This record gives sequence, C-alpha cells and structure tokens, in this order.
Amino acid sequence: MNAAQLSTDNKNVIRPHWINRFLEGWSIYKKSILGKIGMVLLAVFALMAISSFIPPKINPMYEPMSGVDPYISKATGPSMRHWLGTDFIGRDLFSQLLVGARIAFLVGISAAFMSVFLGTAIGMIAGYAGKFTDTLLMRLADIIMVMPSLLVLLMLSALFSKLSIWFIVLFIALFRWPGVSRVIRSQTLSLKHRPFIEAARVAGASHLRIIFRHIMPNVLPLSFLYMTFQVTSAIIIEAALAFLGFGDPSTVSWGMMLQWVWKTGHMFKAPYWLLPPGICISLITLSFYMLGRAMDEVLDPRLRKEGENY
Amino acid sequence: MVNNSEAILKLHYIFKKYKTRGTFFGPQSKDVIALNSISLKILKGEIFGLVGESGSGKTTVGRLIVKLEKPEKGEIYLDGQEILSLRGDQLKGFRRRVQMIFQDPYQSLNPQLSVLDAVSEPLIIHKIGNNHTIEEITRKTISSVGLSPPDDFINRYPHQLSGGQRQRVAIARAMILKPEIVVADEPTSMLDASISAQIFNILLQMREASNITFLFITHSLAAARYLCDRIAVIYKGNLMEIGPAEEILHNPKHPYTQALIDALPKLDLSSSKKYYNSLRKEERIVKENAGCPFFSRCNVSDETKCGQNIPPMKELGKSHSAACFYA
Repeated sequence: MNAAQLSTDNKNVIRPHWINRFLEGWSIYKKSILGKIGMVLLAVFALMAISSFIPPKINPMYEPMSGVDPYISKATGPSMRHWLGTDFIGRDLFSQLLVGARIAFLVGISAAFMSVFLGTAIGMIAGYAGKFTDTLLMRLADIIMVMPSLLVLLMLSALFSKLSIWFIVLFIALFRWPGVSRVIRSQTLSLKHRPFIEAARVAGASHLRIIFRHIMPNVLPLSFLYMTFQVTSAIIIEAALAFLGFGDPSTVSWGMMLQWVWKTGHMFKAPYWLLPPGICISLITLSFYMLGRAMDEVLDPRLRKEGENY
Repeated sequence: MVNNSEAILKLHYIFKKYKTRGTFFGPQSKDVIALNSISLKILKGEIFGLVGESGSGKTTVGRLIVKLEKPEKGEIYLDGQEILSLRGDQLKGFRRRVQMIFQDPYQSLNPQLSVLDAVSEPLIIHKIGNNHTIEEITRKTISSVGLSPPDDFINRYPHQLSGGQRQRVAIARAMILKPEIVVADEPTSMLDASISAQIFNILLQMREASNITFLFITHSLAAARYLCDRIAVIYKGNLMEIGPAEEILHNPKHPYTQALIDALPKLDLSSSKKYYNSLRKEERIVKENAGCPFFSRCNVSDETKCGQNIPPMKELGKSHSAACFYA
C-alpha cells in the first residue's frame, strides 16, 4: 500500500466522536500563540514539579523543609552548591522552588477540579429542576460569592490553629464553585428547551438520563474551560493565604517562601529569595490563563479571528 | 382511506392557554389562548392532518398529545384510557405507544450522540432486547427509513448528516418502538421539496407496513392533501372545518379554508380553478370579539350574526363539518 492510499484510508477510519472532536479542537488550539506559550510554560512547570524529587536524593541537605546546609546558617546568595542560594537557616531555595511547583499544581488542579465538579453538578441541577430548587441553589451561590473568603479563613484558622493543605484545597473549592455553577446553569437552561431534550422526554427518558446523557456532554466542554480559570484563582488564593500566614506550615509552597522572606526581614535584602517564587506564581497563573483563553477560542467559534481557515 | 374503524385518540374539549409574563412596571400578565375547546377524534390507522397558520395552536395540539404539555381543561383519551393523569410506569407505557417527530431536524438530535446511540436510545430506555438485538433492530429501523446501507450511518454524528438524513434519523428514533400513534409536527418544513416528498413516502410506507396512526401537523394544504385521509383546519385555537381530505380540498365550506386554498400557489396559470375570495382586503377592527374567531378577516361574515355569536360546528354531510353560519 502506498502513501497516498494510506492517507485516504485514514480519512475513512471511523474514530470515536470524542477523539475526532479532540483532534479538531487541537488543530484550532495549535493556531493560537497564547495557547502555545501557555503550553510551553506549563511544560516547564510540570518538569519542575517532577524534578522536585531529585535534589533530596542527591544530598539530604537539599531536603526542602528539613534539610539544612551544615556550613551555612544564614541567607546566602546563589552559588554552585545552592543554585538560588539559601534561606535564613541554610535551606536550599532551589529545591524549595521545585517543591513549590508541585504544591501549586496539586492545590491548583485539585481545588479547581473539586470546584468545577461541584459547580457543574449544582448548576445542572438548578438549571434543570428550575423553580424552587433553582432559587434555593442560586441564592446559596450568591451568598457564597459575596462572602469575603480571606476573612472567613482567618476565623477558621483561629478556630483550628493549624490548617492542612487539603483543608485549604477544600476551602478554595467550596468558595469558588458559584461562578462555575452560574455559567453551567445558564447553559443548562438553554439546553433544557432544545427539541432534542423534548425528544428524549417523549422517548420516555428519566430525568437522570436526560441530565447525564443529554445535558452533561453538552456542558462538559464549558466546565473544562472553567477549570483552567479556576486553577489560576486557586493558586493565587493559596499563595495569598500562605503569605498572610494561614498556610499549611508543614508544606513548602511559593506563598510560604514569600512569607518566610517577609517574616525574617529579608524582603529587600535578598532578591534571590524574593523574586523566584514571585515570578513563578505570576507565570504559572499566566500560563493557565493563556491555556484557558486558547481553549475558549476552540469552544466558542465567535472568538476566532475572521478570515482564518481552520 | 380507512373506513369504519374506531377512534384511537380522542380529544375532548381541550382548552390551553399560555401566560405571558408582564413586565415589572408594565401591564399585568395577559393570557394567550392557544386552544379553545378543541374536540377531535383520530381513527385507527389513518393519517390525520391538522392544518393552520403559524400561531394557530396546531403544534400545541401535538405537544399535548405526547404529554409535553398539559391542558388547562379537557381530556385526552387513548383507546378509551384517559392519559392526562398518567404517572410513573403507566406513563412509560404510554410513551412507548405515542411518539413524535419534531419540526427541526437540526435541533431535535443531540449533537453529542451518534446515529446508533440516538436511534437505539428508546430501546434502552424501555429495556427492549439485549445488546446484540438492540443493534440489529436499530440497523433494521435505520434502513427502513431509507438510510442504507445502515453501516454507513450508524457511527456518524448529526453534524455529518444533511437535513434530510437527520430527519430520517429522527423518524427512525420515533419508529423504533413500533408506536401506535406518531405525531409528526411539520416534519418537512425545514427541508426542500424533493426531500419532503421522500419523507412523505417514508411515512406512507410506515403506515402501510405497521398500520401506524399519524397526526400530521402542517401549514401546507398541499402536503396535507398528499398524505392525509382526513383534515382538520384550525384557526386561532378554534376548530374551523373537519372532513375527508378530498372534501376539504375540493369542496371547502368554511371561509377560512377557502382562503387557505386561495393562498395556495398555482403553477397552472390558465387553470380554471375558482377563487373563493373569502378573505377581506382590509381587516375589520374588532375591539372585543364575542363571535366567530375569523370574523375580522372574513368577507362573507355578517356584522350582527358573526360578530356576536360563535358559530357551532355544523354537520355538512358524511363526516364533514364546519364552524360557520354560512357553510
């Protein structure tokens, strides 16, 4: 079989729908410069997160939390031994930065996943059920939206002296779902009256079947898009909490690093300590945002530039 | 033509209104009467045409019959059984017997489901057959609506199909449960004429093969004439005329039906077809209409008679009746 034949054969291959949709979306995504930059940046951060396991294996003094350089007990600048320098008790900053990437991904993605999961479920239920359920859930969403989350967390941390990182993830998820649920609700409202939903009803489909089989596949791309934006806000919230001193003291995150700079009075004395986590926080949120914008373009054809052929 | 068979579906004085929501500061909500005391009998095995202009309530009749909506007053009987109060398992059983074909094939198929998934869904819902037989029945149904070979279509998605093909898929989905009654709500209004004719032939074949009763809702008298055994004409939620298709077409008694026939485009310019001229050039300004719903546009009408009294249905011979004083 020659090459030409192969390519025509490939065209007739029947792939599952989602693969086709993915490939189609990918070809649009590839055209977006924002999307490409975001992808590259994210790949770098992912690499950082993965390689965070390496330094402690080389030498126990590179342990981000407990490893202390036996010869250094103050903040020092970059050197061959410590690429980014050390903090006030001689811990390696570079390995802390690497672990910070891991924590950022962990917090960002798990909090975003939870909030999007909650938001999608609640939005679909509110939109589909309508009437009283809708009012109840949406007013609840309004209440949560207007609550000052930092203030609430301040009170919570006063109650439970020490907050674990998972509590913070849960907290972020609980405070971030209303935005998602409102979008999903409005999408569900418009889907609910589409004839294919009525056709399913006439065929005898139950409410659960209509929600999961007919509405969910149509709102999932939107949830997925919102997840990337949620990751951004989750990372920022976590960093802010950690910087203000409400973070989990047993994990090293970029916010925690910033808090240590500030608390130990190295704010303007040690730029090698202050800048890397700050830049990393900005870049990772930026890259998730760019990812989201590029995906937005894939999902909403109106955003695509005119005259471009996809 | 179906003769002396019993009624499978009976609509008994159906009254349906829609509420329009008034604005916050504006006038209070006003009710729009979609159906005003409609009574119909649909006989087993016939194709019953419901003809009317847009907004006349013809789609509402279809939606009430498949229980997508509820009337304010009146009863609907399927084989003598009242259906408006059906719940749970009984409702599911009813869904098996009554199906609907929707107007817009671009909207009535879920874009995320393949043809196989869409057509076989009713079987899965009603737990008919196992995995193997489901696919077989689906294939058979798909090829019976003229999508053959079925293997070319079952893995496609709606966006990969033309309008006519989509409507065939929608028909297959309605037919797969072997229903007794199918409500076809302007199934061809979004398709062009040649495709429409094919769709009509599929419906006729279906009727031949399994004696399905159709309620065919349309705005086109021509389509109704091609398909239907009996036709009912509906205007502003009121039944105007009902009778055998040929009677309605060639011997319309109600001025509104006559106006509809006048409005049909005629290819043959030299035709000797008579014009009824039953539609007024200028509409009458009627403040509070207490009489015939067609009064304001009717040429034949009489101020005192039609403007004050609602004309009752009048028998005009075998199974032909019209709601007009002058019929």
